[in-house]
Amino acid sequence: MTAGGAPTVPDLPPDPTETGALPLDDGQASATWAGSGDAGPADGSLVMLDAPATGARPSLTRAAVVSNDHLGDRYWRMRLLAPDIARHTQPGQFVMLTVTPSGPSNWVLPRPMAVADRDEMQETIDVVYGAHGWGTRQMAAIGARDELTVVGPLGNGFRLEPTTRHLMVVGRGIGLCSLSLLAVAASQRGAAVSAVLSARHREANVLVPFFEAVPDSRVVTALDSDGSSDPQVLGPELRILLEETPAQQIATCGSRRLLRMCSALAEATGATLQVAVEAHMACGMGYCHGCSAWVQGVDQEGPLVCRDGPVFAWLPAGR
Amino acid sequence: MGAPTLTSEVDLRTALGPLVLATPVMPASGCFGPELATIVPVGSLGAVVTKTIFSARRSGNRPHRLTETAAGVLNSIGIPSPGVATFRSEVLPRYRAIGVPVVVSIGGLRVEEYWQITEELHDEAVDAFEVNVSCPNLERGGLTIGANPDQVGEVVAGVRARTDRPVLVKLTPNVTSVVEAARVAESVGATALTVANTFLGLAVDLRARRPVLGNAMGGLSGPAVKPLALRLVWEASRAVSVPVIGCGGISSATDAVEFLLAGASAVQVGTATFARPDTMAEMVEELPAALGLAGASSVHEVVGQLQVGNDCLADDTLGVPGASDGAGGGRGARCHPTFRKLPTCEAGVP
Ligand SMILES: Cc1cc2nc3c(=O)[nH]c(=O)nc-3n(C[C@H](O)[C@H](O)[C@H](O)COP(=O)(O)OP(=O)(O)OC[C@H]3O[C@@H](n4cnc5c(N)ncnc54)[C@H](O)[C@@H]3O)c2cc1C
Ligand SMILES: Cc1cc2nc3c(=O)[nH]c(=O)nc-3n(C[C@H](O)[C@H](O)[C@H](O)COP(=O)(O)O)c2cc1C
Ligand code: FES
Repeated sequence: MTAGGAPTVPDLPPDPTETGALPLDDGQASATWAGSGDAGPADGSLVMLDAPATGARPSLTRAAVVSNDHLGDRYWRMRLLAPDIARHTQPGQFVMLTVTPSGPSNWVLPRPMAVADRDEMQETIDVVYGAHGWGTRQMAAIGARDELTVVGPLGNGFRLEPTTRHLMVVGRGIGLCSLSLLAVAASQRGAAVSAVLSARHREANVLVPFFEAVPDSRVVTALDSDGSSDPQVLGPELRILLEETPAQQIATCGSRRLLRMCSALAEATGATLQVAVEAHMACGMGYCHGCSAWVQGVDQEGPLVCRDGPVFAWLPAGR
Repeated sequence: MGAPTLTSEVDLRTALGPLVLATPVMPASGCFGPELATIVPVGSLGAVVTKTIFSARRSGNRPHRLTETAAGVLNSIGIPSPGVATFRSEVLPRYRAIGVPVVVSIGGLRVEEYWQITEELHDEAVDAFEVNVSCPNLERGGLTIGANPDQVGEVVAGVRARTDRPVLVKLTPNVTSVVEAARVAESVGATALTVANTFLGLAVDLRARRPVLGNAMGGLSGPAVKPLALRLVWEASRAVSVPVIGCGGISSATDAVEFLLAGASAVQVGTATFARPDTMAEMVEELPAALGLAGASSVHEVVGQLQVGNDCLADDTLGVPGASDGAGGGRGARCHPTFRKLPTCEAGVP
């Protein structure tokens, strides 16, 4: 992953099939559709993972921006000096990043961003983001050596199951940022990794080089531009791949269409499935209750995406 | 009256009735949790305030529950509550462990529910209650309790009768006159008033042709509401003699001093903590310098010391009794010993 050309902020309308990190394809409110209290597709439901045994406490860092590079299309990568976060982040965890410099500001909420990569030696973390709305466009205008307020690592990340010898990650657009460290962790543990990377077109598939560099990985790209991202096309292709090399675990992020496809694949092949979801957030730490994953019932608060997620297990309806 | 330079020379103490706070800075309900104590210093806070707690277990509203707007946040969290038993055993001890006074914010969907939770927390180590009257009353078609001064009176009188702790009443700004509810709350025994909660608003998602928030309407907070909250604090503090706690858009020590001048004895910080979790600690550190800018070396020196030329006009607007007697009597004069009356204003009074 290297820096691209002159940093300009592309003024592109949001892509309705790729709304940030997680499965929000049709613009419906967050993950409400998956909860027991809400009507939604009957193809499965989200279930909370157990809390991690050794969750590192988040810290607040004034992180210097080491670099902020345009990767291609609307995507950028910001590298931040954040030693504690670099040391402790688990796959699927995220940070809350305050874009505006100190002082009274017109923009008051930090932005949740997955930790796409970390380097313990250099004490840095990478955040890869799409410049869409005000905050992310502002991020793209930030220069090296600026300082940002960063809180993390946050959330309940992916579980790499002890039995996993082959992991398949299936992500779309910016959702791939939540899967990258999981692929690395699996590979480090000696598991084979299949990385299915979906995007609108080739230039938008900015994490291909990252996943190609993961040892023992096989990369499958799927694009809207040539029709290969259509689940009707991609699903059967992956089914063949999984029959050749069964995966014990599938992890997905970034598209509801792909989640449905993965749900069917998991059900057919017996793999377990985890998914990272998104929600609008204010605190990222569990105290504002802004990021409810779904409404559980009138007398019980459902899980919070920032604290109980963003990664949940997915139970296909057939199980 | 030179600007003080050393923190130790500056008296940051303030009092809410019998409750003396080491500093006038505390979090606003729902915008703070004990989680924060692990990442930022919290020992310099005057108090901590819990998220509003209901007697029964409740869920919050449908997502989306919040969104960013220009200089603000619009939220419709609802009031998810773990119920009083879990609050007692798991939540309250974590607030207590912070080591500063704990204010428990209480709510209800019926008048009696406020009384019930007060009774249920009777034996707990609670330093004060804050009555959040911005809850819908299910017995009155979901209308906000705080919009009806009689109901505010009923709720607060009942809470007052059931506890000997200080009772703060957090007023809603979504009324024609905040003064009415303020006076009623004072008359039934409120120790102090928090002014104010969020302002009702709406955000629209034009692509979906739907409100952004799951609950359609939400409450606006953040810098966008600061002038509105300042005005309400000024009005309320002139109408009552109990202390007022300013809340709305406060994000710096200078903001805090502006609220103190307008009549607040303490301030609450909500939205600002999200982007900068250490906002409140920083405010306490910078408060001596900010007080210095206003020519003061203590909090109590500046409370209510806003110098306003047009005394009689303001009092007329507020309907303050005694304001039209031409003698500058009534609350205005009492709250503001250094009030300046301009000759033009005097002349205008019949
Ligand atoms: C756990 C998690 C991890 C994420 N990781 C990444 C990542 O690695 N890279 C990336 O580009 N994006 C990621 N996102 C999505 C990212 O947070 C949003 O795209 C971003 O907040 C939008 O900000 P904006 O300034 O572009 O939009 P604006 O329209 O200015 O945002 C307005 C408000 O809505 C919120 N909001 C808008 N869209 C989303 C969304 N899709 N998800 C959550 N909040 C939203 C914003 O945070 C802000 O509060 C992640 C989201 C979550 C919850
Ligand atoms: C996410 C969120 C949750 C809130 N929850 C509560 C609550 O439970 N009880 C309450 O009285 N006020 C609640 N409030 C209102 C705040 O306490 C405060 O009155 C308001 O946000 C204005 O202050 P600010 O501009 O500093 O945020 C909440 C506000 C926000 C933004
Ligand atoms: S974002 Fe505040 S509780 Fe999740």
